[in-house]
This record gives sequence, structure tokens and C-alpha cells, in this order.
Amino acid sequence: MKRNALLMLSFILMVAALYLIFIYVPTESKMGVVQRIFYLMVPMGWIAMLAFIVTATGSILYLTKKSDKWDALALSSCEVGVVFTTLALVTGSIWAKPVWGVWWDWGTPRLTSTLILWFIYLAYFLARNLATEEYRGATFAAVAAIIGLADIPIIILATTLWQGLHPPPLIFQEGGLDPKMRFTVLMSVIAFTVLYIVLLRFRISLRQSEAELGTLKELDE
Amino acid sequence: MKFWSKVITIAWKDALSEMRTKETISAVLVFTLLVIVIFNFTFGANQEVMAVVAPGILWTTFVFAGVLSLNRAFIPEKEQGCLEGLMACPVSREVIYTGKVMSNLFFMLIVESIALPIFAFLFNLPFLSPQIIVIAVVTTIGFVTVGTLFSALAVNTKAREMVLPILFLPIVIPILIGAVKASELTLAGQSWNDLALWLQIIVAFNVIFLVVSLLIFDSVIAE
Amino acid sequence: MENGYYLLAAFTAVWAGVFAYLLFLSGRQVRLHQKINAIKQVLKEKESK
Repeated sequence: MKRNALLMLSFILMVAALYLIFIYVPTESKMGVVQRIFYLMVPMGWIAMLAFIVTATGSILYLTKKSDKWDALALSSCEVGVVFTTLALVTGSIWAKPVWGVWWDWGTPRLTSTLILWFIYLAYFLARNLATEEYRGATFAAVAAIIGLADIPIIILATTLWQGLHPPPLIFQEGGLDPKMRFTVLMSVIAFTVLYIVLLRFRISLRQSEAELGTLKELDE
Repeated sequence: MKFWSKVITIAWKDALSEMRTKETISAVLVFTLLVIVIFNFTFGANQEVMAVVAPGILWTTFVFAGVLSLNRAFIPEKEQGCLEGLMACPVSREVIYTGKVMSNLFFMLIVESIALPIFAFLFNLPFLSPQIIVIAVVTTIGFVTVGTLFSALAVNTKAREMVLPILFLPIVIPILIGAVKASELTLAGQSWNDLALWLQIIVAFNVIFLVVSLLIFDSVIAE
Repeated sequence: MENGYYLLAAFTAVWAGVFAYLLFLSGRQVRLHQKINAIKQVLKEKESK
């Protein structure tokens, strides 16, 4: 029941966000229609970060409390997160082509740091799947997530200072943004965050079914 | 003081066994030289181009040499069954971690101290300045703090040698950026003040990862 | 509207990605439930013997 309510909320918010993006918000004068990609790119980037923070928090709790439920949270958030991080890279690329003329711009700290984050996400799965025993995989993945979390601020700092090509996109500064645009971005972020929660809960319930299957198999033997 | 004497015992054990065989250091050194030679061929012999790409080459070489050398930190111990012995020692995990960091740092600094003069000689660039040496030392500390942790993790995975670089490389990208930038500035004749920003980032990285690694090393190695 | 294709591409990519992931999850859920039910059946038969 609760899940259905959340699903409905996610659907309503998503329709509202689409309305805002395509009809409500004024077209940006310099960039034209492409600027509307921005309302997708921001939530993607935000969820890429949020999902990793949830993964790392779950990992810390798993290492300290040793309860499988925290591992399930970390794993699920990581899997949903890698989907959104990939989409963040794709939308970032589609944004870069008309705006900067290239599909990939190494001078954009947001793109490059998201790419590094994507590799850290992959490291989580690698550490998990290649461990010699399954219980170790969960611990190893947790270690990879915690180290990754500690690295994120330094990555952002280093990639920002490293580049010299483009100043940070003007739209990220609060002051320079039209109030209607700011409202649309905010709504889009909220809509995708609720979608993230829906997907996360779905993935966690799947993990629980997997655990149930595991115990049933043991019973069978 | 008790802590450090135990740490030094572990580091000394590694140093002794390495001194007997010289396997790791000699292999890593040959690898480093080969990478330098390969970069020379791939980028051509143009002196101007070389001056631009040299810091990048230097740090690419060191990071790959680091992976190679860090892979050897726990694999031989695991293969010869020494890891269980080390675990059975009446010392805390922090001591084992710090000891391993010390020995890895020692090995890598030896390799770098031989490779840097060769770099300076082959590229005809001032790679032996005090700035470059300081950058090399702090960055290497960063490599080994994370590298030792991941190396201990990789030893208990199915594809040991492959796991370490995939975990290690994305994490060290920020200090790699710092090291390359600081080296570029040095070669461009900038003063210490201009390097300070990048050195601070590297040092901050080292401190953060030393603390985090000490805290979680136990879960990597525990049975 | 000359750049409208990029906008279309971005929205298609995001929604295709989200739906592909949803399908993937549902597929896994269906298969898991089938397996769980099959094992439960086997266990029941064992008990009745």
C-alpha cells in the first residue's frame, strides 16, 4: 500500500516536472531549446552523488553493525546509482555537443568528476563480485565505497582547479538563475529523487527475495 | 614507542626478504625504464613536445610502477602462507598496516630515486630539483596509503593482480592531477608558493586516507 | 528549434535508461518468485512424504 502511494507520488511529480520543463519554463535566450536538457542533467548529477552517499553510509553501518539489511541498502543504492550516473554522463554529453561543440569536454569538472565517480561505482561491484567468499565481498565492497566517499571532495576540488577551459556553467550559480527556471530545476530534482527512492525500494525488496531464496535452498539440502 | 618498534620490525622483515632476492625492486625498476623508453618512441623525439608531456609521462610511469610494486606487497605472503603467520602475530592490525605502508614506501622511493636521475638524463629536463623530490615523496606517500589497503583487499579476490589497479587508479586521480600540475609548474620555473596549493591537496589526501585506512584495515584483513 | 534533436535525445536516453532498468528489475523479480515457489513446492512434497 505504502509502495503504491509512493509510486503514484512519483508519477504525479514526474508529470508535473515534464509540464514545467516543456511548457511552463521560458526558453533560455542565448542557448535556445537545448537549455532544457539542463533540467534533466542536474537531477541526474544530484542522484549520482546522493546514491553514492547512501551507498557509503550503508557501508559504514554494515561494517560497524554487521547487519545484512545495511548491506542490502548499500548494494541497492549502488546499483540504482550506477544507472543514474551513466545517464548523467549521457545527458552531460548531449548537453556538451550543442553548447560547447564537443561530445566530451575534459575541461568541465562536473563531467570529469562524474566520470571518476562512475569508475568508483564500478570498483564497488568489482570488489564485491571477485571476492573469494561471498561474505567477504560485502565487506570489500563496503571498504571500496567508504574510500570512494572520502575521495569525492578531493576529486571535485582537484578537477575544478585542474581545468582552465570553461568557468563553471553560469546556471549553477543561484543568483544568475531566473526564478521560474530555479523552480523548474527544483521540481525536477524532487521528482527524480522520489523516482530514485521508488527504484531503491524495489531493488531492496528484490535483495530480500534473494535472501529468502538462499535460506529456502539451505532448507532443501 | 612500543607501536613504532613493532611497525619497524614488520617493515624490516619485508626489507630483509626483499634485499635477499631483490625481485620486486629490480622488476619494477626494469618496468619503469621500459615505460620511459616506450613513451619516448610513442611521443617522438621532439624536444619541445617532450618538455610539455614529460610531467605526465613521469607520473604515469610512477603510478603504474606503483601498482606493480603494491601488488607484490601481499601476494607473495599469501602464496607462501606467511599472511596467516602475520595475522597470528600478537600485534594490532594498525601495526601490520603501518608496517606494510613503511615497507611499500621504502621500495617505491628506492625505485623513484633511481628512476628520477634517469628521467632527468634521458629527457634533458631538471627532474632532480628539490621541488620535484618533495612532490615525489608526498605523492608516493599518498599512493602507498591507499595502495596498501587495496593490495590487502585484492589478495583475497579471484583475480588478484587485476583488482588492485581498478580499485586504486580512480581513487588516486586527484593526487595524480596534483603531482602533474605541481611538476609542470616546477619545470616552468615557478616558485614554491605556486606549488603550495597542489602540495596542500596531496597532503590533505594523505592525511584523510591514512586515517580512513587505519580505521578500516581490520575489515579487509580479518578472517 | 534547430537543436531540438539534442533535447529529444536527452529525454529519450533518460527515459529509455530508467525503463530498461525497471524491466530488468521486474524480470529478475519474476524469475526469483518462480524459483522461490518451485522450492517451496519441493519442500512441501518432502514434508508430506
